[in-house]
Amino acid sequence: MIDPRPHPSLHLRRRRLRDRLATLLITAGGIGVLVSVLAIGVFLALEVIPLFLGADALDTDELWRPQPVEGAVEPRHRWRPEPLGEASPAHYGMLPLAWGTLKAALWALLFAVPLALGAAVHSALYMPRRLRARLKPTLELMEAMPGVVVGFVAGLLLAPWVERHLTATLLLVMTLPLGVLLAGGVRGLLPAPLGRRLTLGWAGVWLMPWLLMVGAITLWLAPWLEAALLGGDLRGWLAATLGLDYAARNAMIVGVAMGFAVIPGIYALAEDALNGVPDSLAEGAQALGATRWQTLWRVVLPAASPGILSAVMIGAGRAVGETMIVLMASGNTALMTMNPLEGLRSLSATIAIELSEAAVGGTHYRLLFLAALVLFLFTFLVNTLAEVMRTRLRRRYQRREGGA
Amino acid sequence: MRRTWRRHGEGPWPWLAAGSVALSLLMLLALLLLLATRGLGHFWPAEVAVVTPHAGSPFAGIAVREEAIPGDTRRERLYFTANRDLEGGRWRWVELGEIARIDYPAELVMMERSRWGDLVGRLVALEGEGESHVGEAAWPALQARLRALERLRDERDRLRDEVVMPLVRRLETVDSDEVRAALAAANGRIRELQATMGGATLIVESADGRRVEQPLEKVLRAWRPNAMTLLDRVVAWGEGVWRFLSEGPRAANSAGGVWPAIFGTMLMVLLMSLVVTPFGVLAAIYLNEVAHQGALTRIVRIGVRNLAGVPSIVFGVFGLGLFVHGIGGSLDEWFFSERLPSPTFGTGGLLWASLTLALLTLPVVIVATEEGLARVPDHQREGALALGATRMEMLTRVVLPMTLPAMLTGMILAVARAAGEVAPLMLVGVAKLASRVPVDGDFPFLHLERKFMHLGYHIYDTALHGDDVQAAMPLAFATALLLVLVILLLNLTAIFLRHHLRLRHEVPSRV
Amino acid sequence: MSVFMSSSAARGPIIDFAASESCLEINGLSLAYGDKPALRDLTLRVPRQRVTAFIGPSGCGKSTLLRAFNRLHDLNEEVVRCGEIRLEGQDIHAPEVEVAELRRRVGMVFQAPNPFPMSIYDNVAFGLRLQGELRRRQMDDSVEWALRSAALWEEVKDRLRTSAWALSGGQQQRLVIARTLAVQPEVLLLDEPASALDPISTLKIEELIGNLKSRLSLVLVTHNMQQAARVSDFTAFLEQGELVEYGPTQTLFTHPRLARTENYITGRMT
Repeated sequence: MIDPRPHPSLHLRRRRLRDRLATLLITAGGIGVLVSVLAIGVFLALEVIPLFLGADALDTDELWRPQPVEGAVEPRHRWRPEPLGEASPAHYGMLPLAWGTLKAALWALLFAVPLALGAAVHSALYMPRRLRARLKPTLELMEAMPGVVVGFVAGLLLAPWVERHLTATLLLVMTLPLGVLLAGGVRGLLPAPLGRRLTLGWAGVWLMPWLLMVGAITLWLAPWLEAALLGGDLRGWLAATLGLDYAARNAMIVGVAMGFAVIPGIYALAEDALNGVPDSLAEGAQALGATRWQTLWRVVLPAASPGILSAVMIGAGRAVGETMIVLMASGNTALMTMNPLEGLRSLSATIAIELSEAAVGGTHYRLLFLAALVLFLFTFLVNTLAEVMRTRLRRRYQRREGGA
Repeated sequence: MRRTWRRHGEGPWPWLAAGSVALSLLMLLALLLLLATRGLGHFWPAEVAVVTPHAGSPFAGIAVREEAIPGDTRRERLYFTANRDLEGGRWRWVELGEIARIDYPAELVMMERSRWGDLVGRLVALEGEGESHVGEAAWPALQARLRALERLRDERDRLRDEVVMPLVRRLETVDSDEVRAALAAANGRIRELQATMGGATLIVESADGRRVEQPLEKVLRAWRPNAMTLLDRVVAWGEGVWRFLSEGPRAANSAGGVWPAIFGTMLMVLLMSLVVTPFGVLAAIYLNEVAHQGALTRIVRIGVRNLAGVPSIVFGVFGLGLFVHGIGGSLDEWFFSERLPSPTFGTGGLLWASLTLALLTLPVVIVATEEGLARVPDHQREGALALGATRMEMLTRVVLPMTLPAMLTGMILAVARAAGEVAPLMLVGVAKLASRVPVDGDFPFLHLERKFMHLGYHIYDTALHGDDVQAAMPLAFATALLLVLVILLLNLTAIFLRHHLRLRHEVPSRV
Repeated sequence: MSVFMSSSAARGPIIDFAASESCLEINGLSLAYGDKPALRDLTLRVPRQRVTAFIGPSGCGKSTLLRAFNRLHDLNEEVVRCGEIRLEGQDIHAPEVEVAELRRRVGMVFQAPNPFPMSIYDNVAFGLRLQGELRRRQMDDSVEWALRSAALWEEVKDRLRTSAWALSGGQQQRLVIARTLAVQPEVLLLDEPASALDPISTLKIEELIGNLKSRLSLVLVTHNMQQAARVSDFTAFLEQGELVEYGPTQTLFTHPRLARTENYITGRMT
């Protein structure tokens, strides 16, 4: 056969050149992109440094210690970055903002973690494969819900509704779990054909109408209960007995809305962690006669705990940085209480509101950059830690599986 | 085989776990349902009731919702009464027990006006230009006049956009008598049109018998909600949805449509994906195929993944500091110094917003592409190499075509994420009301420095910053529904693609 | 390099070929994955236009050796190598050698069929197109020639434009052979080419190997002793990265010199 190639050696040199060139290009481009992306932290830090260096450096005590405030005897934390006039200078107490951020994240996690972990456990252990294959993308859609929409619904619909139905809302926290347990108990007593259809595996679906019913009954009962027990005025009772003030847009609303936003993320990672536990571990326990729940509690959960912890951490990172939900549902009042019924102001919302109006290069401007830097470092650290934990865990299982 | 997991002995905890699945799904469902009903319901031409209370004069309004009065067993109902110029407000709560009678008179007319919002009442007469239609004859006459007005308005708008505005802009550069004359002629024509529009007046009687004189030129549309058949309503609903999608906002964003916001969002997202896709893919190829696979690559990979978890507002701050004040400020000094101190690129704009969001979504594209690359089996790579392919030939001819769906998935997810982000945009270029769209007939046609409108920001703005939030709520809901639908659609496409992809890569050979 | 230090087990007879008769020549080749040695100090020659089989228990390094012949180890940065391999007298690791050209000359067929996700025609044309675009007529001819050489033409000539992934496993493997033959290699490396196939497809592949040796040199790695005995002219037995015995297939299978070899061949160890 004759060689069909046109000038093999010349062609080859051209191909080699092209290969080298393309590799060079990709390397340069790739490194460029990666470096520029990772340089965000460095850039923020550079913008913040002038705050603490130079002639007009800020006294760091001002940021996190109570300062004397006009009109108050005790020194206080106050965030008012633009001076109002000669008599009332600017106050740079950032502690209330950090406090608000953490408070919002805490209430969000308080709401989201039990739900997300419960859902993860249920779908990893009890759910039929077919249903699970549907549930995962559905919850992915939940994660894709834009923050501005969630915040809008929470701030403009949920907040006024809860304000009107505070008793019912607080009651729901108790009646919904009780209702679920009731459903579990009643199912055991049902005649066989019906009981068999309402399996635990499908409970995630058939409990939905049941929960709706429980909710409706709670709403119907609430005014009556409030009248009977609290003299018809829960808010008055809260203020008188517990000293709690109430604001329509409060930490509880933020918690629920942001919890809604972080549930899917925590769920997905926790479910991965639970599913990653080798079956051999669980089967061993089940062979000894443990129920699935006992197996979970004694064997699977301890084994998956680093993964679950990392899921919660990533959820916390998301909650700390979320902006639109807090902005729209929190009332943005810089307070320092733990009261879930009062408003708060977070770092992220403060940046969103104030940065476009702050004078470029001024103290206020740089302080907001500091806030962004703090958020960046916090989430980056938390996420890195979570990621490292997750990879460790995965490698451990891989070794187990490989050794088996 | 004995597989008797003691199903009844599982205890209470599994039920609570199942309950949390149910509750999560219920919340999602509730949110979607809420958006769908409130968002779409707004366009439905609802019946207008004339409510006669036991005490006081009757009023006309659309029932919105009912609530229990706090600390009381009675219930009250909210009516949308329109007629802000007459009543001072457009909402009215009525306790149910106070209502003596509710009628739905067919001759009630509802009007959308360019000022003062809606008007509701009985049409008494249409007067002006020497003719007068009274009573029943007024309604067909009104409709004919409205159609004529619509045409006049269209022509006026066309004149303003296509003749006057270009002339004005030309005057900024060349000051010639010729241009001035043309401008004067066009303005004269507009004044003429304006004069033709005016003149006619509607006499409307409100439910409590007061009469209003309403200049016809301020009336945009009129309909008789109680006289409409089901088909009429469906058609009117469809028209309402279409107007919402195709028109610009009015009355400080509390009425009208969201077309500029749709356009702004799409344009921004398009520009962003043009930036993010090539760079993200490049970075992923470098990380996965070219870079030495060692500790450093592992660290970089973790870093990139974590960047996806960095709050979006931080990207906004970065974009403001680097793009807007850093690069934009320098650009202004070098190229647009004649316009200073008013900034050109040194303020938020389309370009900076797209770049900021590109940075924000870069990890999404990188991670998705990397996953796709990792999923290409090694034997495919070796097969190509064993045939004498160089690494680039292997990549371009075998690996990248197989990764294409993954890249597409990454891009779609990036777009979905970017379309819903609002916080960073608030810092780098979104506008409550952009006077000029970023694309027009002026050179260079695409104006990257202009501010733009965005669906997400539109929701935030109408819902929190309007003067009558109640009235703006339905529009905010419709906008939210639109945004959510777009994002859901994008995500579903991505999910479908990924699923499809997984199937295609499984076991190439049938042994 | 310390990783290559190892106790040298007793060696059996190693057949040698004249340089003019051999296509591949290995001198003192050692190779390790990180700190795990895979090949220890191999020296052997592969005869031209013959079928040479490498046999040995799994993990003995026979596949590693095969992949060293066309420098597929270059991809893996962990691999450490010393010693040399010569193709037609030229060191394949010499700086002036183009890897791409080397791999064209030393073709390779893998254990699992790996056709590309494209049409049958494009699969065969893939290597040819890398060498430069041909005229359509020429390309058609070359594709047909390659498919005929791999005894696949008759089965696929009516569906050249359909996806290669729709073929059966055996057909896919012959397509991969055709794809390799199309670029006219001098040596064809076969890494357990029939291990994933059914008996009939295996038979076809073996038949094909027999037919091809008039045209090029073949190196076959297999763990199937009968297959080695059926198709190869010479057989090398490797164990733990060392060459234990190398000779004419007939002799090695009927009169192995070493007990190690005999134990393996008769199945006393795996």
